[in-house]
Amino acid sequence: MEPRRNFLAAAWEGLGELVRGFATTFIHLFRRPITEAYPEYHRPLPERSRARIILTRDPDGDERCVACYLCSGVCPVSCISMQSSQREDGRRFASWFRINFARCIYCGLCEEACPTLAIQLTPHFETCQYDILTLVAEKEDLLVDHGGKNRDYNFYRHAGVTAVGGKGEHLQEAKPVNRRSNLP
Amino acid sequence: MTAWITGCLILLLKLGIVLVGLLLLAAYLVLAERKLLARLQIRLGPNRAGPLGLMQPLADAVKLLTKEDLAPAKADRLIFLLAPAVVAATALLIFAVVPFGQDWVIGGRRIPLVVADLNVGLLYALALSSIGVYGVALGGWSSNSKYALLGGIRGAAQMISYELSLGLALVPVVMLAGSFSLVEIVAAQSRYPFLLVQPLSFLIFFVSAVAETKRIPFDLPEAENELVAGYHTEYSGMRFGLFFLGEYVTMVVMGSLVAVFFLGGWRGPWLPPLVWFFLKVLGVVFFMIWMRGTLPRLRYDQLMHLGWKLLVPLALLNIVVTGAVLLLLRA
Amino acid sequence: MPTLRIDQREISVPQGTKVIEAAEKLGIMIPRFCYHPALGSLGACRMCAVKFMEGPVKGVEMSCMVEAADGMVVSTTDPEAMEFRRYVIEWLMLNHPHDCPICDAGGQCLLQDETVSGGHGLRRYQGLKRTFEDQYLGEFVQHEMNRCIHCWRCRRFYQEFAGYFDYGAMQIGNRMYFGRFAPGPLESPFAGNIIDLCPTGVLTDKPSRYKGRRWDLQRGPSLCLHCSLGCNLVGSARYREMIRVEARFHGAVNGYFICDRGRYGFAYANHPDRPRQARVGEEAAPLDQALKTAAQRLGQIRERYGPGAVAAWGSTRSSLETLGMLQWLCQDQGWRGPQFFPQASLARRVKAAVARLDTGMAVSLRDLENADFIVVAGADPVQEAPMLALALRQAARRGATVAVIDPRPVFLPLEYEHLPVSPGDIDLCLNLLSQAARSEEAATGKLEPDAARFYGLLTSTNLEDPLLQERLLALGRKLQDCLRPVIVCNTDMVRETTPARAADQARLLQADKGQAGLFYLLPGPNAYGAALLAGREEVDLLAAMEQGGVKALVVVENDPLGSCPDQERLLRALDNLELLVGLDYLPSATAARSQIFLPTTTVFEKEFSHFINQEGRLQQAVPLHQGGTPIIQVGQGSHPPRTFLDAIPGGEPRPGAGILADLAAALSGEPAPPTAGDLWDYLSGEHEGFSQLASLTASALGEGVHLLPAEAQEPAWSPEPGEKPPEPPAGQLELLLVDQTFGTEELGSYAAPLQKVEEEPHLLLHTDLAADLGLAPGEQVALLLPGGEVTVRLQTAQNMAPGVAIMPRHRRLHWQKTGDGPVWLPPENIKKLSEPL
Repeated sequence: MEPRRNFLAAAWEGLGELVRGFATTFIHLFRRPITEAYPEYHRPLPERSRARIILTRDPDGDERCVACYLCSGVCPVSCISMQSSQREDGRRFASWFRINFARCIYCGLCEEACPTLAIQLTPHFETCQYDILTLVAEKEDLLVDHGGKNRDYNFYRHAGVTAVGGKGEHLQEAKPVNRRSNLP
Repeated sequence: MTAWITGCLILLLKLGIVLVGLLLLAAYLVLAERKLLARLQIRLGPNRAGPLGLMQPLADAVKLLTKEDLAPAKADRLIFLLAPAVVAATALLIFAVVPFGQDWVIGGRRIPLVVADLNVGLLYALALSSIGVYGVALGGWSSNSKYALLGGIRGAAQMISYELSLGLALVPVVMLAGSFSLVEIVAAQSRYPFLLVQPLSFLIFFVSAVAETKRIPFDLPEAENELVAGYHTEYSGMRFGLFFLGEYVTMVVMGSLVAVFFLGGWRGPWLPPLVWFFLKVLGVVFFMIWMRGTLPRLRYDQLMHLGWKLLVPLALLNIVVTGAVLLLLRA
Repeated sequence: MPTLRIDQREISVPQGTKVIEAAEKLGIMIPRFCYHPALGSLGACRMCAVKFMEGPVKGVEMSCMVEAADGMVVSTTDPEAMEFRRYVIEWLMLNHPHDCPICDAGGQCLLQDETVSGGHGLRRYQGLKRTFEDQYLGEFVQHEMNRCIHCWRCRRFYQEFAGYFDYGAMQIGNRMYFGRFAPGPLESPFAGNIIDLCPTGVLTDKPSRYKGRRWDLQRGPSLCLHCSLGCNLVGSARYREMIRVEARFHGAVNGYFICDRGRYGFAYANHPDRPRQARVGEEAAPLDQALKTAAQRLGQIRERYGPGAVAAWGSTRSSLETLGMLQWLCQDQGWRGPQFFPQASLARRVKAAVARLDTGMAVSLRDLENADFIVVAGADPVQEAPMLALALRQAARRGATVAVIDPRPVFLPLEYEHLPVSPGDIDLCLNLLSQAARSEEAATGKLEPDAARFYGLLTSTNLEDPLLQERLLALGRKLQDCLRPVIVCNTDMVRETTPARAADQARLLQADKGQAGLFYLLPGPNAYGAALLAGREEVDLLAAMEQGGVKALVVVENDPLGSCPDQERLLRALDNLELLVGLDYLPSATAARSQIFLPTTTVFEKEFSHFINQEGRLQQAVPLHQGGTPIIQVGQGSHPPRTFLDAIPGGEPRPGAGILADLAAALSGEPAPPTAGDLWDYLSGEHEGFSQLASLTASALGEGVHLLPAEAQEPAWSPEPGEKPPEPPAGQLELLLVDQTFGTEELGSYAAPLQKVEEEPHLLLHTDLAADLGLAPGEQVALLLPGGEVTVRLQTAQNMAPGVAIMPRHRRLHWQKTGDGPVWLPPENIKKLSEPL
C-alpha cells in the first residue's frame, strides 16, 4: 500500500501550485498581445497557401484546362462543374467551367488532381460577398493570363495527340510507323 | 400622505437606478470579461464595435434581440419560454437586499442605499439563489434535447450541493453579526471586515458562489466541449440572452454578497462608500474572471467530492470552532 | 465437371471452361485485355498470368489459355504471378501516350484500372514512344492508334464475330496497326461494339466525344426501342442530356453486343425541337391546364355526338403501361379503338404472328445461334433488325445453313443462300422447301394425322425460275439432315398469309424432327404487347374518320402522318375532326398538327416502363434521370443560367400512362384510374397472354419475363386460303416499301448521329429491268405513285427478285403517297429526271 501522504503537506503544495498558476496568467495581462489586427495589417501569405482558385494558361498563352473532370470528380463538396467539348482546332476544352465558391472548402484537392496544372489555388482569400450568386464564378472570372506557380509546363507537349503538334513531334516520340512498309 | 408618496417615488427611483445600473454593469461585465480573458491569453479581445470595442454590449444586445426566437418542436413550450426569465429574475431580485452604500440624507430625509432592508435578508438571498436552480433545471428539461437535459441535471445537482456549503459558510457571519439583515452585517464590520476573522468561511463562500454562478472551473452544466451548450443548447435570441444576462448579474450579485459578508460592504477609508462598494465588487468579479483564465474545468466526481467531502465538513467544523470561540470570548 | 481450387476456394466447372472463366465464377477477376467471353481466348496480352501450383500444368501460365482440369490448384496472388503481371503492364504501357486527361476512355479504361492494380506508376523506359497516324473511321468511331496495346479484340469482333472485313490488323510486332485497309468509314452496322470492346482509348465513341466522364453519368439499365428485338442497353445521361448508350449483357437476347442503330438512336431524346411544353391551340399552357382543357373538350364532343365519336390511336413504340392505359381508357369511356398499327393489314399480320407463338415454338436470338438450319422468310436482317444478322452469323459459324427467301438484294455478313423471289412466292417457297425436306416421311406416313393432312394440302407449283427451283430443292435436301431448324419470318412486307404459313411450316418441322423454332420480326419495340391488347376485332379508324363518325382523335405517341402510307386520305380524314389531341415526345408532324398537345417522356426519363419484344419477353427499362431540357440547350453552349429555379426547365413532360390516367380522372370525375400494380391486374384479366403479369415480382420484372402461353392461341395448320391473293397485273411492277438500317425507323430518324450516316432515299430495280427501261444507276428518277410523284435516286441490283421495285421508307422521302395495300406500277411510271451527277 502506498504510504499515505501528509494531508496538510499536500494541501500546502496544491495551494502553491494554485498561486503559481494564478501568477502565470496574471503576468500575461501585462504582455503585449500578439494579435495582428487583420484589415489594417495583411499578413504576407506563402505562395502555396490555398484560397481563391484560378485557371492558368500554358507558356503559349492557351488555356491549360482540358476539362478532364478530375477536379470536379475529386472535389469533396462538388463545387466544380464544367462541360468539356472540342474546339475547332481539335483541342479539348471547357465550354463552361463553374466554381461555386460559396461551397468551396479550399482543400486544394482539385489542384492536386489537375494533370495539366491548370487549376491552381492562390493566396487571395478575401472573397466575401453579400449576394451568394456573386460567389459562383464562371470560366471568364477564373481564367488568368499567366501560368501561375509552374509557368513552363505544357501538357500537350507530352500528351502525344495531334491537337497540338503532329504525330511523332511531341517529347519522347518516334516518327509514325509506316503501315504500308514492312521495312524496320 | 405626502411622505408616503415621496417614499414610494424614491423607492421607484432607487429601483430603476439599481435595475438599470445592474443591467448595464452586467452588459459591460461581458465586455470586460472578454477583454480581460483576451489579455490573459495575450490577445486583444473585442475592439471593433466602437472605440476599444466599447459598443460591443450594445451590438450584442441588438443582435440577440433581432435573432429568431426558436423553440424545438417537441419542447414543453410554456416552461421552455419561462425558464430564462426565472434565471434572470432571481438573479436581479437578490440584489434588493444588498446595501451598496451609506445612507444618504437629502433634505433631511434619510435615504438608505439599499432597496429593501429585510431583517431576514440573508435567508432571502439564499432562498432566491435556490430558485435560480429551477430556471436551469427546467430550461434543460423542457428543451427535450439530450444535451440540454444533461446540462439541466448537472446544473440542479451542482447548485443544490453548493447551496449547502454556501449557507453553512454564512452561519459564522450571522453568529458574528447577530443578525440576518445585510445592513446589520455591514454595520457589524465597522471595525474590521469578517474576512480577517473568518478566512475559512470566506474561502468556502467564495468557492461556493463561483459554483452557484456555474462559472469555470464549475461550468459543468454548460461544458461546451461535452454538451454543446448544456442546458441552454436549444435557446436562441433574447431567451438565450436572458440566461447569459442571468449569469453575469449573478456574478455581480455574488460579488456584492462576498463584499457585504466578508469585505465590510461599503466601508472603507478616504473614498466615498459607493465607490468602495464598487471597488470591492469589481475586485471579486475580477478574481472570478482571472480564475476563468487560469483554472481548468473540474471533473464531475471532483466537483461532488469537493462540495460534499470538503466544503460542507469544513463549514460545519468552522461553525463549531466559531461557536466555541465566541462562547469563550463572551463568557 | 472438373473440380479445381483457385485461391484456396474450390469450384466445379463444365468441361472445356478456361481457368479465367472459372475464377470469374468465384468472383475473382483475373486481369485481362485480350480475353472476352464472347470472343474467346487468344493469349495475346499476357496479362492474365496466374500460377498453377498443382495439377497437369505447373508454373506461371495464361489463365485464359488453360482449360480447367481436375486437381488444379491455382493462385492468382502468388508473388511470381504478380511480378509477371507487373512487368506485363509495364511493357504494355511503354508506348502508351500521356493523354488520359483528354482521352474519353479515362475513367472507364481497363488499361487504367490494371495499370493501377498492377502497381505500375512511373515510366522507367526512357526511349522513344512508337506512334501511328490515325484514320477516319466514320461518324461513330474515333481512332487514336497511339494508345493501342494490341489486344486484338476489335479485329476479332469485326472480322470473326461480325463478319465484316474492311477493318483489321496490319504490320507485325510492335508496329502492329489496327485500322481500315482502305480510306473511308467502317462498313459494319455493328462497328460501335468495338468501342465497348477496346480496353483502352484507341476506339472511342464519337457522338459522345468529350461530353463527360463515366463517373458523372446517370446510368441505368434500359432497353433499345429501335426494332422489335428488345436488346438490353445501359443508358447514360448527364445534365439532363442523353449522352451515350452501351450494350448490356443479356444471355437470351443480345448477348454482349448491340447494333449501331440501337447504340446511336437514343439521340431523339435530345432533339432540340422536342416538344417539352403542353400546348392548347397555338398557346403554350401548363400541362395540368392543357389536360383539363382536353378533358373538357373531349367531354363536350362526347355529349354532342356520343362516346363513339372519340377515337384513340396509339403506336407500338409506347410502353406497355401507356398502351394498357389507353386500352383501359377506351373501354372505360366507350371510345372507338384503340388502334395501334398504322394499317389494318399490318395489324392482321402482327396479330397472326403473335397468336402463333408459344413456349414450344418461340426461340430467342441465343437459341437461334444454336440452330443448324435457318430459313429467313421475307426479311432483310441487317436492314430491319441488325442484331438478327449477328445471331445468324454465329449460327453460320457453328455450321448452320442460312437460307434467305426475300425479294430484296439481301446482304448478310455470313455464307448464306439467297432466293430472290417476289413476296407472293414466299409461301410457295416455304411449301417447296418443306416438301423437298420431307417427301419420303410424308409418303410413309410418319407424321401425325393433322400434320400429314396439312402436308397433303400444300400446293406445289414450281417456281418460274428453274434455277431458283433447283437451289430451293437442294436446300430442302440439306434440311432433311438438320436437327434444329428455325424459321425466321417478317411481318412487314410479306403477304398476309405468310406469318401463319411460316408458323405452320415450323410446326410441321417440329412434328417431323421433334424440334423446330419460330422467330418473328415485328414492327416496333412493343408490337407484341400492342397485338395482344388490340384483341381480335378490327379497328379501322381511318375509315371511321373519313365517314365522319369520329369527331375527336387522341393520338398517343404516334405519328400517323409519318407512318400511314396514304397520307392524302389521312389528311382528308383529319380535316373531318373537330379535335385532335396529341401526346408525344417527338417533334412529329402529328404533334405539330394537334390542337391540344401534351408532352410525354421518353423511355429514359422519370418512370419505369416495360416493353414486350418479338418473342414475348417482357423487359423493363429503368429511368435514368428526371427529364428536362438538357443544360447544354438551356445554356446554348455556354454556362447554365445564373438563376435559381425551383422547377426543372422543360421538366414538365410526364409518362404517357400517367397523363392518360389523369385524363380519365378528369373525364369521369373519379380520381382512381388503374395505375401501376392495378394496371397489371387489369391487363392480366384483359388477355390470357398477360395472365402472368399480376403475379410478377419486382426482381422478375427487372430480369425480364417470358410471357408466352404454353399453347398458341391460334390453332395450327391453318388451311390454304380459299381466295388467292390478287394476281399482279401483267407487266406491272410491285412496289415494295421496306426498312433501311438507318433512316426508316421512326425514333432513330430523329437522332442526329444516325442522320449523318443514313443513305440517300433510293429506288431499287433489277439491273436487267433498269437497262430495259433505259435507266442507269445513280440517276434521279421521278416515280409516279397513286398519291403523286416522288423523286428518288435509282439503284440497281442483280440479286433481287424481278418484277418488283423496292423503295425503302426514308424520313426524307415522301413515300406516304403510295396508298394502302399492294401497289402495282406500270414500268412507264418510272421516268428519268436528269443525268447522274
